[in-house]
Amino acid sequence: MDLSRAQAALLERGTPAQRKAMRILVALGEMNGARDLVPVTSAHVSGASYKLIGDPGLEFLEDFARDARVVVPTTVNPLGTDLRQWRALGIPRSFAEKQRRIARAYERMGVRPTYSCVPYELGVRPGLGDHVAWSESNAVCFANSVLGARTNREGGPSALAAAIVGATPNYGLHTSGGRRPTVVVRVTTRPRGFDYSLLGLVAGERVGDGLPYFRGFRASEADLKWLGAALASSGSCGMFHLAGVTPEAAGVRTRGLPTIRVTRADLRDAQRSYTNGKDPDVIALGSPQLSSDELRAIARLVDRKEPRIPVWVFTSRAAREANPGAVRSIESRGGVVLADTCLEVTLLEHRFGTVATPSGKGAYYLPSLCRQKVVLDDIEALLERYA
Amino acid sequence: MKVLARPIAPGRASAIATVSRVPFSFVGGADPVTGRILDRSTDAAGTKLAGRTFAFPHGKGSTVGSYVLYGLVKRGRGPASIVNARAEAIVAVGAVLAGIPMVDGVDVAGLRTGDRVIVDADRGFVDLPDVRAVPVVTAILRNAGRILLVRRSGRVGSFRGRWSAVSGYLEGHEDTRDRARREIREETGITRARFRGTAPAIIARVGTTAYVVHPFLFDVPTRRVRLDWENVESQWIRVDDLGKYATVPRLADVVAAVTA
Repeated sequence: MDLSRAQAALLERGTPAQRKAMRILVALGEMNGARDLVPVTSAHVSGASYKLIGDPGLEFLEDFARDARVVVPTTVNPLGTDLRQWRALGIPRSFAEKQRRIARAYERMGVRPTYSCVPYELGVRPGLGDHVAWSESNAVCFANSVLGARTNREGGPSALAAAIVGATPNYGLHTSGGRRPTVVVRVTTRPRGFDYSLLGLVAGERVGDGLPYFRGFRASEADLKWLGAALASSGSCGMFHLAGVTPEAAGVRTRGLPTIRVTRADLRDAQRSYTNGKDPDVIALGSPQLSSDELRAIARLVDRKEPRIPVWVFTSRAAREANPGAVRSIESRGGVVLADTCLEVTLLEHRFGTVATPSGKGAYYLPSLCRQKVVLDDIEALLERYA
Repeated sequence: MKVLARPIAPGRASAIATVSRVPFSFVGGADPVTGRILDRSTDAAGTKLAGRTFAFPHGKGSTVGSYVLYGLVKRGRGPASIVNARAEAIVAVGAVLAGIPMVDGVDVAGLRTGDRVIVDADRGFVDLPDVRAVPVVTAILRNAGRILLVRRSGRVGSFRGRWSAVSGYLEGHEDTRDRARREIREETGITRARFRGTAPAIIARVGTTAYVVHPFLFDVPTRRVRLDWENVESQWIRVDDLGKYATVPRLADVVAAVTA
């Protein structure tokens, strides 16, 4: 791989953290046939929940933070609990304490304490053609597909390495060739709201690590958030196109590609197959974290009808603080609004065995990451049924 | 035996090998405190990783494995080096973080637990000083969906009576593909063989001897075969039937490497 003079100097004579970061990027670049390292304008790092990375992750991050400093704006994924509400949630003190140490390690490195899986809803919106180094699969899918920025599906350490060096290996979704669709997904039904999660689950299962080109429907940015999150969970897609909507769809050729059809019946089947529980203990909303608009919409729904089981909402700190009225509404009806954490990375399984959620991503991960049962359904239907 | 390898994480280490034939996850596969291997499918369960060259096909499982490897090496409970057939990000990142040498592109099925191994990721090779390398070429001949097996005669130096593909020893620094063509001419009389592909070397171990097999695939226009003294009979078989024949070691892997 070709290194610039400055990059070669970092590899040879940088601080220990810089040398390690360069070695990670060179190893991954060589493994994947990258030509060089491309400069990035931002980084987003996953791997902040103590529940997921445990003592090994905590130990590494604290060691690394001794001299690692990020050189581009860097955001970080949700923590394993809301550190301002952990006592009320019944989280063990040792868990909260270790979670706090992970957060401190990231902050020492200069990472912005966003603790969010939706950096694109917090003002981090790279433009068309901008190279970035993001991990967190839903954010990767959104950045590539909806914003037209360029990032591979980075892992936590590789995104952190890119943040420290300011560059990432140039291959895959950073290259125009890597952004061409491999399969057309013709959707024969008109998706609304919750359907986007189901469509993502179905398409992800069928295209695997391919790059789908959807046609047959229009969608808002919020719809595409839920589509991409589910698509990147059941499949390992880092990007999709949607004809007439996403910024790079017009410029690609689809002639000769295999075509998959997704019907209304496929969506219904997905909902059934991802529902493996009944009688949920909680309705959980998040994964990815809700935006301000989505938070307010939930508040309006619970205002109309008080739910019998608690509603737990996961959102960003910024959205929670910007919407005190919505938070009050939800909390006054037995609900909880958590910030800085999210559905499947939070410590929740000690309280609830079965979770009802409209999130396709949540339905995909809860059974394995949290050993919980799932009821997958539309939020309005859930509130209707459990009110 | 010295084989070329692709450097993944820099450094050089000499150690005794622990070999797993199956992919490995550092999360759940090894005790993060003691470095004891827990995964029973590895044939190395119960042994400790500390100070060993750990060879396995490739990593799998949770990405937290990178941090587990880091922590093990930091406490002196981790491997001295890593050899993979095909590196992936979890183990590669873990080896870099831990600061241990790692290479890939090596047929780890040719390594044995207990082998003395030098991993040189700076110069890109793996050396087994106690193992004698015997470089050979093996040419899989294909005609209309069948491949040629020949049964080795009693007059050859090794694997007498076993089924094999056309093969021969490499001499000096000759080109492997040229040698393959010459063996095809000598052993079958076929002169018009079309090169279709090759693959990284397969290592067939017999005690302290390692046959380093360079596999080739050729399409040939005829099934008429004129054997020389090295073989006593020949058969054109379907690849699926290979398991019914008593073959030289790892012939199935050689066939799979070039026909997959």
